Amino acid sequence: MKKLKEALEAGEFTITAECGPPKGTDIAEMLEHAKHLLGKINAINVTDNQSAVVRIGSLPVCRLLSEMGHDPIFQLTCRDRNRLAIQSDLMGAHILGIKNVLCMTGDHVSAGDHKTAKPVYDLESVQLLQTVAALNGGHDLAGNEMKGATNLYQGAVVTPEANPLEPQMLKFEKKVKAGANFFQTQAIYDMDNFKRFMDRARKFNVKVLAGILLLKNAGMANFLNKFVPGITVPQGLIDRLKAAGKEGALDCGMDIAAEQVRIIKEQGIADGAHVMAIGLENKVPEILKRAGIA
Amino acid sequence: MIVSKAKERQDVINMLEGVSSVFLLGCSECASLCGTGSPEALAEMKESLESIGKKVTGMFVAKTGCQVLGTKVELKANKEEVDAADAILVMSCGAGTQSMVEVFKDKKVYPANDTAFLGNMTRFQHFDERCSMCGECIIDKTGGICPVTTCPKGILNGPCGGTNNGFCEVSPDIECAWAKIYARMERTGELEKMKQIIPPKDYSKKLSPKVFVIEKKKEEK
Ligand code: SF4
Ligand code: SF4
Repeated sequence: MKKLKEALEAGEFTITAECGPPKGTDIAEMLEHAKHLLGKINAINVTDNQSAVVRIGSLPVCRLLSEMGHDPIFQLTCRDRNRLAIQSDLMGAHILGIKNVLCMTGDHVSAGDHKTAKPVYDLESVQLLQTVAALNGGHDLAGNEMKGATNLYQGAVVTPEANPLEPQMLKFEKKVKAGANFFQTQAIYDMDNFKRFMDRARKFNVKVLAGILLLKNAGMANFLNKFVPGITVPQGLIDRLKAAGKEGALDCGMDIAAEQVRIIKEQGIADGAHVMAIGLENKVPEILKRAGIA
Repeated sequence: MIVSKAKERQDVINMLEGVSSVFLLGCSECASLCGTGSPEALAEMKESLESIGKKVTGMFVAKTGCQVLGTKVELKANKEEVDAADAILVMSCGAGTQSMVEVFKDKKVYPANDTAFLGNMTRFQHFDERCSMCGECIIDKTGGICPVTTCPKGILNGPCGGTNNGFCEVSPDIECAWAKIYARMERTGELEKMKQIIPPKDYSKKLSPKVFVIEKKKEEK
């Protein structure tokens, strides 16, 4: 299996998945899930205090997964660190053998489990991308020369279903300018919308992995529609999940995810897919199998 | 203006434990507009404190409480009332409170208000925070709308993924700063400008405590 950068640069349809470190030190289950994915995906994201909920740091988990044989994508947000901490973590990632970093602003602390925390946001995603570019070039953000540069493949996120879309596209352009090599999108379900987005994204020299979020049941789909900005699950899919009944819903959701991956690959809509299973990473190999991959 | 909110009355009472007499000081500027340091607010505080057996030796609404020298001069007339009090309870912002700390070196001084933010009064007694005094204004680049303050993440380069039909992911009561900035710059024909990356802010400009001295112009002869 090629690693992320090689796969994307070779023009292969690239698959990434995601792993969320737990709160607490028992990582047996997380590692078990990650093992299931070995050899089936090109790279694996490790989330960074996802949803502003305190968990094990992304960087040490990246290292563990790299030892396991994965190519980890170090998710790095600006919520919890100022520019000093960010740069030292980036250099740390390099010496730990981490090759990819996904630059994000990060969910606000008000969404998480430490609502009284001070949000940092000394930098934000675009400036974070610039920071990585600077370190890759051997200089820190203040312009000081480094003894040894980083060599990190820079990723960013984009929300193709954002409303309004225009400011989001403008920011997409800024992220490209700031050094993003690849994008992983927020979950997409409406393929026509996504194609329209890709028509615009294709104008830039970057790789795009379509975000595929496994729907576990109709309730989850309704929840996403109601509470998660930038995600729209079409009614048709919700009806299918409902029709599948309680027992069959997850299987139906896996079918839906597999179909999406297949369409994106067969029609060459994007350069790959980022499959998010939120705790059901062990289902990812089956989804990929149904999609005709591996 | 500086927006202040009255502390919970019980918190004020707790603060005054062991204090039997107070002098009340308000401020005719921001705190009066906020209703936290106006003559009416002082009268209400007096009544409330007296009802629990505290003595109010006197009260005064300073013209501008944060103006140390002016307030000191104004208060000369109230010297006896202040002297008679165990403590001064200041009903202004934290700056006004500390003016009193400076003027009355040996007197206990307590804050009756919480100082909240620099606000625009957008409706009567409705305040919105639009500037957080970052020390280096950049809103020439953002359509005159401040993302440092009005985007909860202070993002300088466009909306996050949480932008939600013009509202912010953080709260349905907040409009997304970047949706507003885009709409305004579209109207003013400045979208090209919006494509420029705004560099990280210089937070050394915001380090506290700050001092600012206006240089005297050369005396004319
Ligand atoms: S950028 Fe915002 S916070 Fe800074 S001075 Fe201007 S309005 Fe105030
Ligand atoms: S939704 Fe808009 S205002 Fe809210 S954090 Fe994101 S960019 Fe800022």
